[in-house]
Amino acid sequence: MIGITAFSAAIPAYRVARDTIAAAWESRSLGGRLAAHRFDEDSLTLAASAAQDCLATLPGGSAGGLYFATTTAPFLERLNAGLIAAILDLPPDARTADFGNSLRAGLFALGAATDAVAAGRSDNILVAAADTRAAAAGGDEEQNYGDAAAAIAIGKDHVLAEIVTRGGVSDDFLETVRRDRDPYVTSFASKFTTDRGYARSMAAAIRKNLQNAQLEPVQISKLVLSSPDKGAHLALAKKLGFQPAQVQDTAWEQIGVTGTPMPLLLLAAALESAKPGDYLLLAGHGDGAGAMILRATEALAKYRPRVTFAAQLAAGIEFRSYAKWRKSCDYLREQGETLEISNIFYAKEESQNVRLRGVECGHCGTRQLQHQRLCPKCSKSDAIKEVPLARTGVVFTFSVDQLFPSPFPPTATAVVDLEGGGRIFCEVVDCAPDTVRIGLPVELTIRRLKEGGGLHHYYWKCRPKRF
Amino acid sequence: MDASIRDKVAVIGVGCTKFGDLVDQSLADLMVEAATAACSDAGVGLDELDAAWLGTFSPGMNGGKATITLADALRFHGRPITRVENYCATGTDAFRNAVMAVASGQVRMALVLGAEKLKDRPVRGLQREGIDPFLEYGTTAPGMFALAANRYMNTYGVKRESLAKVAVKNHAAGALNPKAHFQMKVTEEQVLKAPLIAYPFGLFDCCPTTDGAAAAIICSAETARALGKPLITVKGMGLAVRTGKPFLDPTCDYVGFPATQEAAAQAYKAAGIKDPAGEISFAEVHDCFTWTEITNYEDLGFCKLGEGAKFVAEGHSALGGKLPVNPSGGLKSFGHPVGATGVRMVYEIVTQLREQAGPRQVRNARLGLAHNLGGPGAVSCVLLLGRDT
Repeated sequence: MIGITAFSAAIPAYRVARDTIAAAWESRSLGGRLAAHRFDEDSLTLAASAAQDCLATLPGGSAGGLYFATTTAPFLERLNAGLIAAILDLPPDARTADFGNSLRAGLFALGAATDAVAAGRSDNILVAAADTRAAAAGGDEEQNYGDAAAAIAIGKDHVLAEIVTRGGVSDDFLETVRRDRDPYVTSFASKFTTDRGYARSMAAAIRKNLQNAQLEPVQISKLVLSSPDKGAHLALAKKLGFQPAQVQDTAWEQIGVTGTPMPLLLLAAALESAKPGDYLLLAGHGDGAGAMILRATEALAKYRPRVTFAAQLAAGIEFRSYAKWRKSCDYLREQGETLEISNIFYAKEESQNVRLRGVECGHCGTRQLQHQRLCPKCSKSDAIKEVPLARTGVVFTFSVDQLFPSPFPPTATAVVDLEGGGRIFCEVVDCAPDTVRIGLPVELTIRRLKEGGGLHHYYWKCRPKRF
Repeated sequence: MDASIRDKVAVIGVGCTKFGDLVDQSLADLMVEAATAACSDAGVGLDELDAAWLGTFSPGMNGGKATITLADALRFHGRPITRVENYCATGTDAFRNAVMAVASGQVRMALVLGAEKLKDRPVRGLQREGIDPFLEYGTTAPGMFALAANRYMNTYGVKRESLAKVAVKNHAAGALNPKAHFQMKVTEEQVLKAPLIAYPFGLFDCCPTTDGAAAAIICSAETARALGKPLITVKGMGLAVRTGKPFLDPTCDYVGFPATQEAAAQAYKAAGIKDPAGEISFAEVHDCFTWTEITNYEDLGFCKLGEGAKFVAEGHSALGGKLPVNPSGGLKSFGHPVGATGVRMVYEIVTQLREQAGPRQVRNARLGLAHNLGGPGAVSCVLLLGRDT
């Protein structure tokens, strides 16, 4: 049996209200909020966050591969999935690939992972999809696009939902387009576009899968549809003979249209409340449409994601002003390219700073992040070995620094003692700085630290522990 | 260590510029002013000096990085010059190295010069260092010391009000000192209401970034006696280095600075001091932040661990207290041009021991202690100087 073996959603902690955007432009608010990435988040960090949570619930805690799907990859040349795999400390023989250029890329990656598992190439492949699509300031899509990520593991053991059928249609129809030179998406949104593009392809893909599985709409417990806006998916479901109660809520009110991760994210949401035996029909659009039918197994009853979609949906720190939200979007892009980079240094430090591997003394068991040759406790040097460090810990001490470079000072920083040993010094994010205190349980999260030397630089930060 | 440094080396001249935002003067200007003042105080010419030690922290070719900065400023050519850099203990360590050279007999008379121009650079505070990705990106000196302060305050239940008392005390002393960067008193309320810099430190809990230079002329005790100088000699010295990355070292408990305790133990042993609080007349300690002074009291043995806040609250460290600390105004009020600070402390101690400190004079000043603390507690240097008559 091949199917989903773990899943997780990653919604950034910040939100911007559509009222806030509308007020800035003296335009009409569509109501509700958008999930907004913090200035130090991008599609790669969100995907890594989702993948890390997903990995934690996989039996064995490791995967044979990592596929990354996005239309907003931080690197155009350099394997983004390779960096995420290193952040997850996957072994060098892990299968890695980037999928992009279409909102359907997440489904392409799911298909490729399913094929690889079916062909016996790997037992378990993690698919992480994320987007942080920027809409033009004041443009029509500014109140539509939100940011998020989702991760889905495909494997053949401990399957939570079996893949029954899958298949789709391609259509080079102009819906949303972004050239190599464009910072923003060009959207052809209109009734014509929805009918001729989205609805036609989605309907074809959904009918094909129902036919292959020999199922009727009434037999589907949950219809999980991506949507280009607030309501196109509801009209589509009705046209195909589904009842509104069968349709998975797209969370447009709370987070907006999230792009590439949308079908995976909503599938994760649907699986949180699905029951063994349920059929789920997933369909996602983008240059055509892809779909699959899944059937929940008995194992799903016992599975719980590390942090649920529902819990993340309910949370949220709001950007109180439009200016602050836009500054958060643009902050790192506006940083100067002054840094000089040594790839020698980067290669040497990868294990410590990216993979978060520390060292342990065989004599006294002391662990530390720095790869020192002598033990900091017993000073012996003959039994130091590399070990992976825990990604959770407790604040040992902290500071709330007004002078730390940030678009939104002050910045909370903390010395964190990791569970099982090792200590790291990093920023505390996703909470009010004045709530940081000694003893606060935290989890590590990879973030974009700075720009320069032709690179985005990533390093660990921490946030209050959510699980 | 077998032979004690005690009574072997004398300070015969000191000089110090005004500390502050010296925007109209160059680093060379400050060096010349301090060195000339020290020479004139000692009654010797620059050409009579055999060697020089330059204490300066900031990197950069014109920031004092190289010995040529001193060589060219003073036309001090054809003789040995050594640049010392040891975090914020740079000045005291430059002095310590010069003292050892004089004690060895290799150098008859030496110049120790500490100088720093922190205001002439495009960055605020100190330059960031590329040891660790996070450290390199944006951590600040107040933020680093705040880590230690918050752990200490959490351990001993100390509040910001106790820290403010150090600022009030040191500003009161600085107000009496014409060379101090800040010569104004502050109230506890002003300190507590000032904008926060890095919790628990507000603006008045932090020492300023300052320009300045200080110099000392040293020679052997015999030479000083032969020159008929009042005998102020080095009684003891100590230097200790601990990890520069306590934030990555799981063995650091962030309560107390072992480097200070160890440097003090070395100095006390050399000087034969058993009861620091009873035997030391006054001290110039490293109050880079108000809290640092509180922990210094404990690490230097002026009071027990956890009782530093009480020590300042009861007035023991005030001018007129049983052990006046920072009668100069300290880093807090006098300013902190990193490499100059340690030598400036020597200047203050000598001035006090000669009873030339005017309104801020410590009564019966016989034995003075200078203490620097560098990095987040990584390096500490302690000096003891005494008057023999």
